[in-house]
Amino acid sequence: MTDPRTEPSADPGPLLSVRGVDIAYRTGRRSRVTAVHGVSFDLHPGQSMALVGESGCGKTTLGLGLLRLLPRNGLVPAGEILFRRKDGSTADIRSLGAEELRRFRWSEAAMVFQGAMNAFNPVLRIEDHFLDTFRAHETGRPRRRAEIREESAHLLEMVRLDPARVLDAHPHELSGGMRQRALIALALALGPQLLILDEPTTALDLLTQRAIVERLSELREELRFSMVFITHDLGLAAELADRVGTMYAGRLIETGTTRDIFYRPRHPYTAALIDSVPPVSGGLVVPESLPGGPPGLASLPPGCSFAPRCRHARQVCGERRPELEVLHTRGDGLSHAAACLRSRELAAEGATRD
Amino acid sequence: MATEIAASPPPPDTGTAAPSRDGAPLPPHLRVWRHYALVKVRKALVVVFVVANVTFFLGRAMPGDPIDVMAGRLTQGGMSLEEARIIAANSLAYDPGAPLWQQWWDFIVGLATFDMGMTINRPGFTVADSIAAYLPWTLFSIGVGTVIAVTLGLGLGMAMAYRRNRVLDHVLSVVASVLGAIPNYLIAMLLVVGGGMYLSWFDPIALRGTLSPGVEAGFNAEFLGDALYHAGLPIFTYVLAIIGTWMLIMKASTTEVLSEDYVTVARARGLRDRRIAVSYVGRNAILPLVAQIAISFGTLVGGAIFVEQVLVYKGVGGLLLDAVNYRDYPLLQGLLVVLTTCVVAANLVADLLYSRLDPRIRK
Repeated sequence: MTDPRTEPSADPGPLLSVRGVDIAYRTGRRSRVTAVHGVSFDLHPGQSMALVGESGCGKTTLGLGLLRLLPRNGLVPAGEILFRRKDGSTADIRSLGAEELRRFRWSEAAMVFQGAMNAFNPVLRIEDHFLDTFRAHETGRPRRRAEIREESAHLLEMVRLDPARVLDAHPHELSGGMRQRALIALALALGPQLLILDEPTTALDLLTQRAIVERLSELREELRFSMVFITHDLGLAAELADRVGTMYAGRLIETGTTRDIFYRPRHPYTAALIDSVPPVSGGLVVPESLPGGPPGLASLPPGCSFAPRCRHARQVCGERRPELEVLHTRGDGLSHAAACLRSRELAAEGATRD
Repeated sequence: MATEIAASPPPPDTGTAAPSRDGAPLPPHLRVWRHYALVKVRKALVVVFVVANVTFFLGRAMPGDPIDVMAGRLTQGGMSLEEARIIAANSLAYDPGAPLWQQWWDFIVGLATFDMGMTINRPGFTVADSIAAYLPWTLFSIGVGTVIAVTLGLGLGMAMAYRRNRVLDHVLSVVASVLGAIPNYLIAMLLVVGGGMYLSWFDPIALRGTLSPGVEAGFNAEFLGDALYHAGLPIFTYVLAIIGTWMLIMKASTTEVLSEDYVTVARARGLRDRRIAVSYVGRNAILPLVAQIAISFGTLVGGAIFVEQVLVYKGVGGLLLDAVNYRDYPLLQGLLVVLTTCVVAANLVADLLYSRLDPRIRK
């Protein structure tokens, strides 16, 4: 078996190309609520992208939608999710058949979940989870149990867990941090090209978070997988991501390199998010909070969804919906884009900081 | 590596405190598991003892003793009351003069030595013989009925959860609710009247009893076939009586498990649907229901008394009714103690089974 994850990313084409994806939930026989609107972004091999935003902005829905793991009432009515597969072909995940989708999942794109505390079946041992995963993706002759156990042990060592203790344990015998590490090891089992992490460290204490995040970025260097990192922790995003996308009310409202986003945010919402994080060093600054919450998805305001909470809003903001507009493109092809009618104006005024 | 591991978050002290409670060094989980079982057995014995006492005193709290009852019957034939009492006293193995505490002591000592004494109304028969002659039929029909109903109920309930809010779910939900609302003796009557008399699917007269005339007990096809033939109606009644409840609780349990993260993760891991349904959904949905199997069994034992009367099935139900009517204290006590023991034993088995199936309890 050739191992594409060790190959250098010679091919310049994107690994994942999300084009105009809508995601909706059926709420009744005829009614549906659109949770994600026309999201587009490209993710190149080895790159990592953070999706940030408040709760309820559609980040998790988008993450689940990428693997078609939405709950029964969820659907992707529009758009394309193009994925360059290990065999070199490009497939739209939206149109994969059930069996093809099953084989695609985890072997090419794996996901570490928000609720990783409950990610393991309570009645099975950790080893059984590895066994089930390998067996489900086996082609040809079944491998021996001992062989799989050995490989699982190796994976657990990669995330700094003691395989002898963890493999035979049931999930409830492990701490939250250990379970999260074990899930990351499980996610790497089949050498996926893409890892989607949905708030992977939310329920953990700071030291455990730190250890996991560090190990994760080391592993990424080593194995060269791409990452979509969903978080509301901007610190983590700054650390792990090459690029950041801000989501608000189901739309991607600003994308750019991590540097661009943190030093030159061009959307007032991104700027407000950054301002709400207290600095770790420097003088005592009272972080500025952003009053209110994201609008209900069933009743979005007609213009810019953020306008009602935006202190720079003008009348036009409530009438016309801004599209994501490229502000500048860097030499390496990465661009900074924001969906704000006044972004250039505000940048000139210095209102969104520089 | 070792230091890294040591640095990783809390080892056993929080999550797995239970086994090391008494600081036992060698196989701790086995020790504690035995301990767990032992606790359950002790509790079960206490329950049986309490029920035995309740039956003893309740039986005697009913108006009239065995001699009154029999004398009452004899006087209806024109005998004088005094004459009737003498005949009754002579033909019954009951001494009305024995003080209550004496009777109680004999009963408790008898229980402790597995001797439930002689019946009062069936001279020459011990209580144990009488129960042994009838109880197997009841346990057989209830046991088979429970197994069928639980198996079918689990399967249908799971199917309903997987297809919730579709046609199958709606139809089965109505059926299950209706079945759950009809008392079991009414189901028995409906079966006899509807299936036997109006539709003539079977001959309700030939189905009476536990065996057809001339069939001898033994391990052969004829006996087993005939036993099943006669038990068919009671079994079917029991199945209908509890299957609705099982469908509904399994549907609820499965629906809950389906929303668990580990099911979504299993889908994300690309596991096959069958594997997810059996090991991830099914197993976790059934776990909390294991204990309820014993509850169902207990419900049916109670219901059997009516159902067996309606279907004229010679199980323990008729015997119990006779024991009450004739104030046959030893038989009544013996029957209730044995039935209680059966139900308590079923609960015990369910508890122990649950502790084996759920690793979180096994400690």
